[in-house]
Amino acid sequence: MVNYKIREMEKNDMDEVMDKLLRLKNLNAEFDYALKVSSGNEAEIKGKLDKIIDDKENHIALVIESNNKIAGILISDIIFRIYYDPKYEARIREFYIMPEFRARGAGSALIDEFKKIVNKREIKMITAEFPSMNIIAVNFYKDLGFRELIKIYAKVD
Amino acid sequence: MIMKDSERTDNYDKIAIDTSQKYKGKIRTLPRVPIHGLDDFSVLYTPGIAAVSKKIASDDDLVYDLTGKWNSVAILTDGTRVLGIGNVGPHAAIPVMEGKALLFNYLGGVNAIPIPLNVKNNDEFITAARAIEPYFGGYNLEDIESPRCFFLLESLQKQMSIPVWHDDQLGTASIILAGAINSLRLVNKKKEDARVVFNGAGAANIAAMYLFESAGFSKKNMIAVDSRGILEPERKDIDSLMLKNPWKYKIALETNGDRVTGDVSNAFKGADIVISASKSEPGTVKSDWIKLMNKEPVVFALANPLPEIWPQDAKNAGAKIVATGRSDFPNQINNSMVFPGVFRGVLDARSKGVNFGIMVAASNGIADYVENPDYDHIVPTMDDLELFPQIASIVARKTVESKLARRTDTQAGFLRTATEIIESNRKIYNKLFDEK
Repeated sequence: MVNYKIREMEKNDMDEVMDKLLRLKNLNAEFDYALKVSSGNEAEIKGKLDKIIDDKENHIALVIESNNKIAGILISDIIFRIYYDPKYEARIREFYIMPEFRARGAGSALIDEFKKIVNKREIKMITAEFPSMNIIAVNFYKDLGFRELIKIYAKVD
Repeated sequence: MIMKDSERTDNYDKIAIDTSQKYKGKIRTLPRVPIHGLDDFSVLYTPGIAAVSKKIASDDDLVYDLTGKWNSVAILTDGTRVLGIGNVGPHAAIPVMEGKALLFNYLGGVNAIPIPLNVKNNDEFITAARAIEPYFGGYNLEDIESPRCFFLLESLQKQMSIPVWHDDQLGTASIILAGAINSLRLVNKKKEDARVVFNGAGAANIAAMYLFESAGFSKKNMIAVDSRGILEPERKDIDSLMLKNPWKYKIALETNGDRVTGDVSNAFKGADIVISASKSEPGTVKSDWIKLMNKEPVVFALANPLPEIWPQDAKNAGAKIVATGRSDFPNQINNSMVFPGVFRGVLDARSKGVNFGIMVAASNGIADYVENPDYDHIVPTMDDLELFPQIASIVARKTVESKLARRTDTQAGFLRTATEIIESNRKIYNKLFDEK
C-alpha cells in the first residue's frame, strides 16, 4: 500500500499544482472540443489559484502527497444555495490524480479527507463537475455513492 | 546495398503479379475423403449425412470428431494495416491472406481460410467473428491496425472458446523472445537482470513486453520508446494514451523503473538488448546509441524491408549479436517460425484458448531447437522443417497443462500426431505438383 499524506494546498505548491491542473484540462479536452485548452493564460491562472488558496472561507483546496511529491489535487468552491436546502454545497471543480497513483487508493483517500473537512464545517452536500463524456469520473463518483443531479448543455457557434 | 535490395524487390513484385494473374488465387478446397463417383454422395451428402448431423446435434463435442472443424482456422482481417502498405481494405488484403493460408497449410498442415471482413468498427468485427465460429478450431487475426488489434484480440480471447491469435502481435513477440533467450545465453546474461529497450511501441513490441514479463524479464528493466520519445508515467500525453491506447498506457506506467526521460539515447544507456520495431529506415537507430549500451549488446533491428540500422553498422558500433527481419542477413526474426507450430499444437489439443504461458513454452522450444547457437544463429531458419511438429507438441502439451485442452495426450503422442499430419499433408503437395 502506498503511503499518502493529505494537506491544504499552499502557495509553495504552485508549480506542481499548475502542472496537475493543466494535465486535467488537457484530459478534459480529450472528451469535448468545447473544452479545448487556451494557451498563454498561465499568469492569470496562477493569480486565480493564489486567491483560492487565500480564501479559505469560500474554497477548500487540498493536495495528496506520496514521498513528498504531489500525487493529486482537489479544488472546491463553497456555494450558498439560496433556493434550496441544504443551504451549503461544496463543489469539486478540479480533481486530478497522477496516473501512477490511480486505482491505488489516492483518489478515494483525497475525497475521504475532503469529506471530513466539509463535515466539520457542517456542509451537508458535496458535488463534483467534470465533462459528461468522462466515463471514468462517472464511475469513480458512482462508486462513492454520488448520483447525477444537473446537466449542462452546450452549443458553440 | 540499398540499390541491390530495391532491384531484388522490384523483381519479386513483377513475379508476384504475374503469378497471381496466372493462377487467380493461391488456394482451393480439395476433398479429404476418396470420391469415385456420384454414388459416394449418398454417404458424403444426403441421405446418409443426416445421421452425422443428428449425432452432432445430440452431442456438440462430436463436431471435432466428425467434421473438419478440428483443423480449420479462419484468417480474419479488416484490411486496415496490410503489411507495410497500410489501410487498403478487405479486398486488397486477400492476396496477403491467401499467402498466409498457404504458409499455414504448407508448414503446419492447417486448413486456413481467408476471411476478410467488410466492417466499420470494433463491434461489427466482433459480431462477425463470433458468428462464423462453428466451422473453425481457431482464429488468426491478421493485418489489423493498432491499437484496434489489442482490443479485438483481448475481446475475442475472452468471448470465444477457441484459440484466438493475432500474428502481428503474438507470433512476432514469440520469435523475438526466442531470439532474446538464445542471445542472452550467448552473452552470459540473466533475463532477470537484462535491461531491454523496446524501440517502437506498435503491436509487436507491446505484445513482446507483456510476453517478456511472462517469461521472467522484469518490467522495471524495460524501457519503451515510441515516436514521441521515452514512455514514462509522467509524460505529458499520458492521459491521452489512457483513453486512446490503454495497452501502451499500461506499459508506460509499469516499465521504466528508473524513470529515464528525455532524449531517446538515454534509454540506450546501459541496455543489454534493443528490440527495434520502428521506422523502416537505416539510421532510425543510431550507431552512437549502440555505443552507449552495456557490454556485448544485442540489437534486433526488425523493420521491413529496411532495418533501422544495417547489421554491419550495428556491429561496427559494438553490437555482439544483430538480428533483422530479413532472410538475406543472419538471424532472421520471422513469425513464420512460430504460427504453424503453435496452431498445429492448439488444434491437436482442440484447445479452448491460447495464453502467454503457452507462448513462453513455444519461445523456449524454438530457442532450444537451435542446438549450438552462435552469434549468427540464434533462431531456426525456414529450412528447419522439424521445428514445426516439435513446437506443436510443446504447445499442445502446455495447453493440456493449462487446462485448456479438449483432447489430451503425452508430448510424444502429440509429436507423433503433428508429424503425421504435417508429413501426410506435404505428400499431397508432392502428388499435386510432381509432374513426373
